[in-house]
Amino acid sequence: MARYAMVIKTERCVGCQSCTVACKSEWKVPNGFARTRVPETGTRGTFPTLSTCFHVKQCNHCDRPTCVPACPSGATYQADDGTVHIDRALCIGCGACVAACPYGARYIDPSAGKADKCDFCAPRREQGLLPACVLTCPAEAKIFGDLEDPSSDVYRLVYHEGARRMVSNAVSIGPNVYYTGTPEHLELQAASFVPVPPRTIAPGIIWGAFAKNLVLLAVGASFAGQAIAFFRQLAVGEKRFED
Amino acid sequence: MNQQPIPSHPVPLTAETATAMEQLSIKKHDVAIVLLHWFNASVWFMELLSGLALIVAPAYRVMPQWYLTMIASAFGSRANLLRVHVALGLTWIVVFTVYGVFGYRNYLRKEVLVNEIGLDQDDWQWLRIRLLLILNRTKEPLPEQGSYNAGQKLFALLVYMALPVIAITGIIMTFRLFGTAAVAWAMLLHFVAVGMVVSGLMVHAYMGAVFPEERPAFFSMITGRVNELFAYKHHFKWWKQAKIEQRSWQQEFHSATPNEPKRD
Amino acid sequence: MNSKISRRDFLKVSTAGAAIAGATSATAEPSRLPGRRGNERVELIATNCEMCFWRCGVLAEVKDGKVLKLQGNPNHPMTKGKLCARGNAGTQLLYDPDRLKYPEVRTGSRGSGKLKRVSWDEALDQFAARLKEIKQKYGPEAVAVFPHGVSSGFFATLMKAYGTPNAAETAFAQCFGPRDVAYLLTFGRPVGSPEPVDLEESKLIVLIGSHIGENIFTSQVTAFSQGLSRGAKLLVVDPRFSTAASKANWWLPIRPGSDIALFLAWSNVLITENLYDKEYLDQYAIGFKELTDHVQGFTPEWAESLTDISASQIRETARAMAEAKPAVALHPGRHVTWYGNDTQRARAMAILTALLGAYGRKGGIFLPTKLKQGKIPLPPMPDSEKGRADGGGDRYPLAAEEAQGLTQGLIEATLTAKPYPIKAWVVYGQNVLESIPQKQRTLEAIKQLELLVVVDVLPNEQTDYADIVLPEATYLERYDPPMISTTSKRPFVSVRQPACEPMYETKPGWWIAKQMAKRLDLDAYLPWSDPDDHLRRVIAPLGVNSSELMSLGAVSFPGKPYIEDRVEGDGPLFPTQSGKIELYSAVLNDLHFDPMPVYHAPEQPPSGYLRLIYGRAPMHTMTRSENNAWLDDLMPENQVWVSTKNASSLRLTEGDVVTLENQDGIRSDPIHVRVTERIRDDCAYMVHGFGAVAPKERKAYRRGTGDTKLISRVAVDPIMGGTGMRVNFVRLLAGEGKG
Repeated sequence: MARYAMVIKTERCVGCQSCTVACKSEWKVPNGFARTRVPETGTRGTFPTLSTCFHVKQCNHCDRPTCVPACPSGATYQADDGTVHIDRALCIGCGACVAACPYGARYIDPSAGKADKCDFCAPRREQGLLPACVLTCPAEAKIFGDLEDPSSDVYRLVYHEGARRMVSNAVSIGPNVYYTGTPEHLELQAASFVPVPPRTIAPGIIWGAFAKNLVLLAVGASFAGQAIAFFRQLAVGEKRFED
Repeated sequence: MNQQPIPSHPVPLTAETATAMEQLSIKKHDVAIVLLHWFNASVWFMELLSGLALIVAPAYRVMPQWYLTMIASAFGSRANLLRVHVALGLTWIVVFTVYGVFGYRNYLRKEVLVNEIGLDQDDWQWLRIRLLLILNRTKEPLPEQGSYNAGQKLFALLVYMALPVIAITGIIMTFRLFGTAAVAWAMLLHFVAVGMVVSGLMVHAYMGAVFPEERPAFFSMITGRVNELFAYKHHFKWWKQAKIEQRSWQQEFHSATPNEPKRD
Repeated sequence: MNSKISRRDFLKVSTAGAAIAGATSATAEPSRLPGRRGNERVELIATNCEMCFWRCGVLAEVKDGKVLKLQGNPNHPMTKGKLCARGNAGTQLLYDPDRLKYPEVRTGSRGSGKLKRVSWDEALDQFAARLKEIKQKYGPEAVAVFPHGVSSGFFATLMKAYGTPNAAETAFAQCFGPRDVAYLLTFGRPVGSPEPVDLEESKLIVLIGSHIGENIFTSQVTAFSQGLSRGAKLLVVDPRFSTAASKANWWLPIRPGSDIALFLAWSNVLITENLYDKEYLDQYAIGFKELTDHVQGFTPEWAESLTDISASQIRETARAMAEAKPAVALHPGRHVTWYGNDTQRARAMAILTALLGAYGRKGGIFLPTKLKQGKIPLPPMPDSEKGRADGGGDRYPLAAEEAQGLTQGLIEATLTAKPYPIKAWVVYGQNVLESIPQKQRTLEAIKQLELLVVVDVLPNEQTDYADIVLPEATYLERYDPPMISTTSKRPFVSVRQPACEPMYETKPGWWIAKQMAKRLDLDAYLPWSDPDDHLRRVIAPLGVNSSELMSLGAVSFPGKPYIEDRVEGDGPLFPTQSGKIELYSAVLNDLHFDPMPVYHAPEQPPSGYLRLIYGRAPMHTMTRSENNAWLDDLMPENQVWVSTKNASSLRLTEGDVVTLENQDGIRSDPIHVRVTERIRDDCAYMVHGFGAVAPKERKAYRRGTGDTKLISRVAVDPIMGGTGMRVNFVRLLAGEGKG
């Protein structure tokens, strides 16, 4: 169908946060939070042999997202084009998805109490527009397109020019935000940020490990009990109430 | 009118008395109670149906995929399902809050705390013997019970404990109160509390609707009345009290002559 | 006008001056095009930004009179839909609850901030009355005007007509004045804004102190990025490892103030190794012989000990420039008032540019393309016998033009009453307390004024000292004169039109100026009736109709950026006195200045002190954005960068709070330390624009520290009066000293 992806050209990015603010104004992201953010990676080396760069971080719309199965109500889902969305009407704001994201791409919007993250500007794309961050980037560091379209820039960058995914030994879920840059850049990024294994929130752990089985057991036992009584009743025959 | 003395404990009845008693009915439940009961039953049923379809994550879910899909499409979308679930839940809470506020003094205090969930010695005996009877391990007779037997009381107790949990956690989730962690724990507690109620509900539904011995009880939840024989046999303490009150009313009504002062 | 354009279609419309069928009559209303946001109808209004001075094209999304969002205008020929963090945060200025709302007059003492609300009539009547009074008492020259920003022209014209020659904006003596004078001397033209640097076609980009990526001018970043992507090499000369340096092939952490030595050594290498563009110089330049003789002794070895850059690196980079010539984009910088010898440094840069044959060439510095701007005929301006008070043209001979006012000269005149007393200041769109160094002097001067009128958007510190505060509408609510850019490869005209009605009782600058003109009987000097009238007159010679311009936001024209594009009628290539590039400046020589740059070492920091240097952050525009909720969220305060070595010897760790004390004993407000390898051991660096002391700017109040008050010393450029500001030294005191 389509598989949308983004390529970040680290060699171009200057860390100006234009993308952060464009996104914030488009989607009313509250202060203190961000759908996309561009931290510095930290500096390597000693004066005067130094290196540093910026690391654009946002939802990666992974091939095998760990946030989707973590969502109890199924509010988070993956569309056919690979992008991961949050159905706000279904989100109850439990935070399971926030913990389940290895990239820290999600946050709970305190005013709405619901989860929020980048969705590659789906409403804009429906109108044939580029994501807000891509359009606004002064350095043209964000490239957006369809990985299944051989004529697209992202296709070329990913399949022919070696754009890399931000993965680790522990976490490799097919993120669709790729990075180009010098080997130094990519090392700096990897050193400053490593995707962490998805966490399960405590209530979720209890639910999965214990509560679910407890409930099924209780209901099952109760049901079984009644079933047995029912069969006995059929076997023995009905007794009138006064006997 | 029947001027037989009211026995203080159940005595064997003649076939004739029994038949006569079976023909008479005695009011067991107010109309309000009847309506509320079915309100509960229907709301809880719908809530369970919709609620189960809302638990989708593989680690959490208890229903198979076809169920989730079927219910969601029956309601249009899962988002609609949640809306219905919340609407029903809030309706239930409003109804019961109103009921609680207005009914407390007249009704709730005595009826709930004493009749519905107060467990006395007889209740504990009843539980023991009832269990052994099911397992065919005793021939003891069941002790006297009040207007609700011990099993029913236990269920009521469970419901009174679990429903506030379900309601409050539901409100926390709906209005996303007290932060994300609160919502997450509310989710878990909501599920566990519902699970407990459903377990109890199975017994309640079976006992009420399927178990033949209790059939008059089932109909009492529709008509509000049970026949006197059933009451005598299964809820003796309640029958006795009702009779005493009935007698005293009758006495008052029938014995008062125009010129005699009323006896207080 | 096609009224059924969807947002998508609008954004596809080409810019090539496409004629759109429609009336040429002026529209009283801004041009609103229909658009969509989800299922809601919105309007799109094309304007340009004023969150800094680049004026990128902006599309404002408006519904029911509210601006919902800003984005770049894809139709703008220069910025093409890109918009930086500040531009995107413009709505937070518009809807800032702290902004100035009503005209106010002072009721308490100067600086108390006690003001009372009055009506516009009352405020303007009072303003006019006071001006008339001052004219009578002292003469009109006693009024100094500080106009800055797009509508500053109206105020400058008004006050000039009133009779004062004293107008100055910080842009000249506190910013790019030195380089404009230097390039004017060398090539016959100032550099201009936007800077005509052909970054995207360059083979080697050279940045001297310029920290592109931390200073953000949207289209400049785009060009920079494109140039690098196409394989341009990058050479950065900066005492700090800036963002630009992080992308550089060479980072030369030069000793601050020694740039002239570096340029001289580079020139030496190019000349002695015969690497300069001989053909170009033969054809276009004079003074080559003098230059050759001049740079003989300025070898890389000589420069090494002065600059802390090794001779081999100097040679290597010179050769790299030669290899890339003429496509070497030697960026002239923008804020260049550093050490007081800045005109000479810019001259050295201009000379080097000429040696590489890069001026007027692809990949170097391109030529402006003239656009005819409609002149609005005015009655003759009154002559002033007293002449300028700021020293321009006389003490500072090359600050002779009208646009070259010296703000600090006006302050000095106010303080000393020499050459004559200055009793009133009219400030428009300029933060005199933070943008002019030696803040203490400015405050002293203000205390001596009989009248201070401030026209501004935010309640910054200077409004607490004003007698009359006039609240201007923000750029999103007003018309300003169009931007006519000649220093772009495709010259263009871009409009500013209101996206919504002015909030509260704020008024656009043009309205205030016209109201004052009326009261001062100077109507004839602002003879246009309304913004549309003004716009039409200004753009008349361009052959563009105003409706078209208003809907697209900007219209571009073919450019002639390179020498080979020029034909006879385009005027001289190098409008200098000689008609050629003047490597040797006879003008300077006649004025008894060095005709070719000579290196003089600046004073070094005393022991225990670090040189205070400052710069920009990409999410702020100096103090202009300090109260912006979104931008503050990204960067709420500044930090002082010190080297790891300095930090450890001072026993400071990352995040510690310090106070800076300068050589005059002046202390900063508390500021957090950033311990880094990215800076030389002799410097302390901070971003300019923090440390607000106006309590009415609630979000900005007391966040970080301002550097302006630490810049209590300046080194004044004798050629044009520029105030070099990197001549202050600070030491770090742990903890929160008294500020």
